[in-house]
Amino acid sequence: MPVRVVESNTPAQVSGTDPGNRSQLPPSSLLGAGQAFSGTQNVSNQQKEEAWRVNVQIQGIDLEHGYLCGTMEALNVPMADTPVITFWEGEIVDGKNYTFYTGKWEATREDDMRHWSKFPSFSPLQGQVESDGGRQLDLNNYPYIFMRWKEQYFVNVGTDCGLTIAGFYYVCFSCSDGSISGFYYDPNSSPFQKLELKTVNEGRSGFSFSSYELQ
Amino acid sequence: MPTTTTSAASSSSSTASASGNNSNRQADVFSRLASSDPEVKLKALREVKNQIIGNRTKKLSFLKLGAVPAIASALADADDSEKCNNILVQSAAALGSFACGFEAGVQAVLDAGVFPRLLRLLTNPDEKVVDAGARSLRMIFQSNQAPKYDFLQEKNMEFLFSLLNSENENVSGLGASIIAHACGTSVEQRVLCEAGVLEKLVILLDGSLSQREACLESLATVLKNNPEAVSDFVGLESGRYLNSVTELTKDRYPRTRLLSCLCLVVIYNTSPSYFVNMGTKSGLITTLLELLNDPGQSGDDAALGLSCLIAGKEDLQKLAYEANAIKNIVDILKTDSELQTKRLQGLFLSLAELCSKLEDCRCSFVSLQVLDLLINALRHKDADVKAAACICLRNASRSVKNLSAGRFNSDHVMLPLVQLLHDPSSSVQVAVLGALSNIVLDFSSPKSSFIEFGGIKQLIELSKSMDPNARCSALRALRNLMFLADNKRKELYISDVNAQGFACLISDPEPPVQEQALALLRNLVDGCISSIEFVFDEDGLILDTVGRQLRKGPQAHMAIQGMYVLTNVASGTELHKEAVMQQLFPQATGSENFMLKFLQSDESQLRSATVWTIINLISPSSPGAYDRHVKLRSAGIIPQLKNMVNDACLDVKIRIKTVLGQSMSFGDNY
Repeated sequence: MPVRVVESNTPAQVSGTDPGNRSQLPPSSLLGAGQAFSGTQNVSNQQKEEAWRVNVQIQGIDLEHGYLCGTMEALNVPMADTPVITFWEGEIVDGKNYTFYTGKWEATREDDMRHWSKFPSFSPLQGQVESDGGRQLDLNNYPYIFMRWKEQYFVNVGTDCGLTIAGFYYVCFSCSDGSISGFYYDPNSSPFQKLELKTVNEGRSGFSFSSYELQ
Repeated sequence: MPTTTTSAASSSSSTASASGNNSNRQADVFSRLASSDPEVKLKALREVKNQIIGNRTKKLSFLKLGAVPAIASALADADDSEKCNNILVQSAAALGSFACGFEAGVQAVLDAGVFPRLLRLLTNPDEKVVDAGARSLRMIFQSNQAPKYDFLQEKNMEFLFSLLNSENENVSGLGASIIAHACGTSVEQRVLCEAGVLEKLVILLDGSLSQREACLESLATVLKNNPEAVSDFVGLESGRYLNSVTELTKDRYPRTRLLSCLCLVVIYNTSPSYFVNMGTKSGLITTLLELLNDPGQSGDDAALGLSCLIAGKEDLQKLAYEANAIKNIVDILKTDSELQTKRLQGLFLSLAELCSKLEDCRCSFVSLQVLDLLINALRHKDADVKAAACICLRNASRSVKNLSAGRFNSDHVMLPLVQLLHDPSSSVQVAVLGALSNIVLDFSSPKSSFIEFGGIKQLIELSKSMDPNARCSALRALRNLMFLADNKRKELYISDVNAQGFACLISDPEPPVQEQALALLRNLVDGCISSIEFVFDEDGLILDTVGRQLRKGPQAHMAIQGMYVLTNVASGTELHKEAVMQQLFPQATGSENFMLKFLQSDESQLRSATVWTIINLISPSSPGAYDRHVKLRSAGIIPQLKNMVNDACLDVKIRIKTVLGQSMSFGDNY
């Protein structure tokens, strides 16, 4: 993340758990703390077409551990009086901390491949992921970042609001223009609800960046 | 003979008050201490000794009455004949008792000038006299006030080894104590190792309990931060000596277990490669955790020892976490309200280290309700405890998840922290600023307890402190407070700081202060477009200062923040973009444009920030983009970017592609 955690005591030693020679992904300016995205999530089902407006904000990113987090705000949700805000945590597929295989949240390998293959930017990688899980892939130079986002709790409404955060999103981020697409996966919800977001510039003619530094 | 640096003080005996039976008896004792009759003197010495043993109040009381000089005189007056032996033994024992764990007592003994006399007792033919002298001297050498010992003098080394070689375990233990407390430099460590002290100390580990403990302390002192000494030690007898110390971590005596653990901590911190075996690391952590429950000094030292061991080491922190360290420490803190200061400090520092890198630990914090314990500790009377609690809070609040959930943004947490900004201790101030820096990051929740308690004004004051660390920390806290802040919050800061004052911060003599000031400015001009106007106050003083600082060829970290200020301003209106161009191309300049230098920096973040400024300046939606592009091209900046299409950093490469794409739309060839 665009922060430095300043250690005032003895210098850190490298964790002994890092297998092989994988390194963390390089930082991407548009996937940083403070960056905001806006778009829609298609929540259509067989009965009706529906889309919610969605705003996402990244609050923190830790490339060393393949972690990021932020908030997601859903507007015009029919069963809610106000926009619904959730806090989510993400796993970055970097081949070091996380792979393309989820291994939890009731997602099988078949579910994983079914979802990743819906991103055009995944197709050059598909063969290798299917054969050896993508162990040989050099994701450091790939201009797309793949993630899983899992909502953890509701920020401004109760759990009885009629909404669910049981599933998670398969996400693809484009490093060049900061656009995000995703698919929501929850065995008990309509499949392949698509999330599409673009960067937000708050009325500016260009990009603006805020930052913080954790001590 | 070793020399002492203390000078003999004049006798300061005073008479006791005439009132009360106690005072009468004490006055009586003094007159009997000065008696010429050895039996009377001896009885008086025994009386004093028996009263003060283990009794700090009595020690203080007798000290104030001048007992130490009186006893020192008794010792000095006694000759080495056999009939004076009892007097020598009792006076040495009494002096030793005064010095035992009582700094004022040590001071008084040294001031009385009796140290050389005590040393001479070590060569007395009577074993009991030697014992008493050795024990007394050991008490003195437990203290930081003990005289310096010059290990580099050959005579002193000979004397030291004569002690270590003595059959008398109190004497050899004294030799070890001298090393433990007086060896300070790597030169001294080397000289001791070359003289064979490591082998000697390990052999002495097989002796009595007190000798073993002194030897473990000495080993740690000789090995500390000295990789050569550690290598020598581990190499001795094919690692058998290291095994001996490791075995002692399972000894039945807690203090032995503790001191052997501390020895291993020293070895690990100096040369971790000797600890490849996970079992040893786990065993060490488990033993230290068990020792935390020891009610005595071993428990105090175990807490600090644990924090030293896991400091900065994620793998050990993980082992400790898996061994339930957090719960163990929290249970101790919750159940015992009368913990010693040193132990409290050690426990909070251990918790701080556990939370320094591991998110699981930080989340445990919250679930185990540790916050309340920390808040109480912020009100402790001891500065070290308060500082340790602040450091703990700082590390726990590195959790973006918990910050986002508002776990620290409550009056209950914030008020004592804000109050500590006025603490007289500078170590507490530094520590609380560190904690607040993180905790004020509330991701723009509507309510900020910190602001409600007047925190902004305090930070503004601290940003003008004489201490550069305080200025830097205060600005960092302000920066974090202004992260994604709305105009209302920004106004609370801007209204109290004028452009002149802010320009001074950007031009601070200390680069880290400049960096934080620019980072704060970056956040102030982000967000709503109207907030950019701040840099134009007082005829654009702040923007001019930013430009001036960037032209001076600053360090990369400062330049990154400066370029992001320009990036953010350049994302504004046409006027804003033109103002940035004026900073990049001021009228009177003959030197190379600083952007060209930044684009060639080794720091990818600086290259990236510079390219973003360019992206914003030639953003196609703005009317003056074409003219600005022409200027950037003729200044060599666009051609420089063409040379960087294969930049090693993916992000820089992508941004350059964006610029060149925009360039093509202006009719430029790729």
